[in-house]
Amino acid sequence: MNEHISSAYDRDLEQLQTLVIKMGGLVEAAILSSAEALAKRDVELAEQVRAGDKSIDALEMQINEEAARIIALRAPVSKDLRSILTTLRIAASLERVGDYAKNIAKRTSTLVDIPAIQGADTALRRMSKEVQVMLKDALDAYLRRDAVLSEEVRQRDLEVDQMYNALFREFLTFMMEDPRNITACMHLHFMAKNVERMGDLVTNMAEQVIYLSTGEMPDESRPKDDQTAFVSAPD
Amino acid sequence: MDDYYTTDRKMSTMQDTKIAASGVQVYYADNHAIKDVNVDIGDKTVTAFIGPSGCGKSTFLRCLNRMNDTIDICRVEGDIKIDGEDIYDKKVDPVQLRAKVGMVFQKPNPFPKSIYDNVAYGPKIHGLASSKADLDNIVEKALRRGAIWDEVKDRLHAPGTGLSGGQQQRLCIARAVATEPEVLLMDEPCSALDPIATAQVEELIDELRQNYAVVIVTHSMQQAARVSQKTAFFHLGNLVEYDDTDTIFTNPKDPRTESYISGRIG
Repeated sequence: MNEHISSAYDRDLEQLQTLVIKMGGLVEAAILSSAEALAKRDVELAEQVRAGDKSIDALEMQINEEAARIIALRAPVSKDLRSILTTLRIAASLERVGDYAKNIAKRTSTLVDIPAIQGADTALRRMSKEVQVMLKDALDAYLRRDAVLSEEVRQRDLEVDQMYNALFREFLTFMMEDPRNITACMHLHFMAKNVERMGDLVTNMAEQVIYLSTGEMPDESRPKDDQTAFVSAPD
Repeated sequence: MDDYYTTDRKMSTMQDTKIAASGVQVYYADNHAIKDVNVDIGDKTVTAFIGPSGCGKSTFLRCLNRMNDTIDICRVEGDIKIDGEDIYDKKVDPVQLRAKVGMVFQKPNPFPKSIYDNVAYGPKIHGLASSKADLDNIVEKALRRGAIWDEVKDRLHAPGTGLSGGQQQRLCIARAVATEPEVLLMDEPCSALDPIATAQVEELIDELRQNYAVVIVTHSMQQAARVSQKTAFFHLGNLVEYDDTDTIFTNPKDPRTESYISGRIG
């Protein structure tokens, strides 16, 4: 893409993009840290994730204000307009992902006093890692305006859904085996659901990048495999 | 969701063709100013021509009412039809044509006459009024359409040149519509006006769309975006892209259009 005749306009747009990448970096770290805090029963790390959410929220505010300023002063059109619209939506999604990470950290603080459920921490950590890589790729795609990579990210949400399905069934089994598992499993299930929702939000971001680079939202529906709504009892 | 403006803009794509231009070439002596332009302009639609200075947009506009005839070295080739009739046919009288295809210029240019006479001049020479009362009616109707009646009704015999710039421009629009044209050409009608007068003229253009095909040349991209339903982008004498205004400003197909509307180099 060529430069604008007004170089200050380019600087404004670049600064907005830098803020999104910075926010994305914080959110990626929050995803990994919340999973690590759970696995290691590290209350201090969980506390850091909870406190860190404030910086993420502040960045979103800053992005909103900056975007409003550019719209008011530059009247952006075409790709520039799409870039700002996309940025606003990505920032909103990132903020939600940050909230989910914060919620996982909160539940971790509760879970440290309860016996662990076998295999759950590792599975959640793997799922979180998957979502974090998806997010990293979605942000790379955003920077490069890469619709192909975005589509790939979009497809990968299927794996997150499948991981969530497996965990759902596992938790159900654990709870039926021994009611003393219920408290832990309830918390762990919410955590798994949070990670699954993060995957959906990252998918939305990838779709925004497709809109940004092509001017159209992807129309075919993406693969989904969250079957938990239809589960009544473990097989 | 179906708010007025959205519905309105969509309807514009379904209008009948008013002006059909095909294979239009314009030369100023050896200078090839318009290169093979093909375009269908819809009736009851505002069509905006945009492009950098010297791209040919005004030249092309002036082909539509044969204003280029007055320039000796100018040669126009190709077909321009209004309602299916070739306007460059030998049988067509350019003066009659210009009554049918009105024009408003960049700088307001009222005649050095009264407000009334400015508007009455066209209908008089074209014999559109049968009596004084009839002429009075025509003048009032035109001034109302020009959205200036309320401001001038008490001083119709004051000189037109005594009005403010924005009022003068609306007077010129009233003068252009007084002969009941079918097409209205506007060559940067707001470039000499302040933002309030510009907004008034733009509002007027939107109202005129009910009755006319309006073609407007503008350097203000935002103006094209605000008032038109169709936008044509000219560059170096070529018609680069012609599409719904929404499309041109959100997702243009040609990189040259993209660069121009977003203020990029190149």
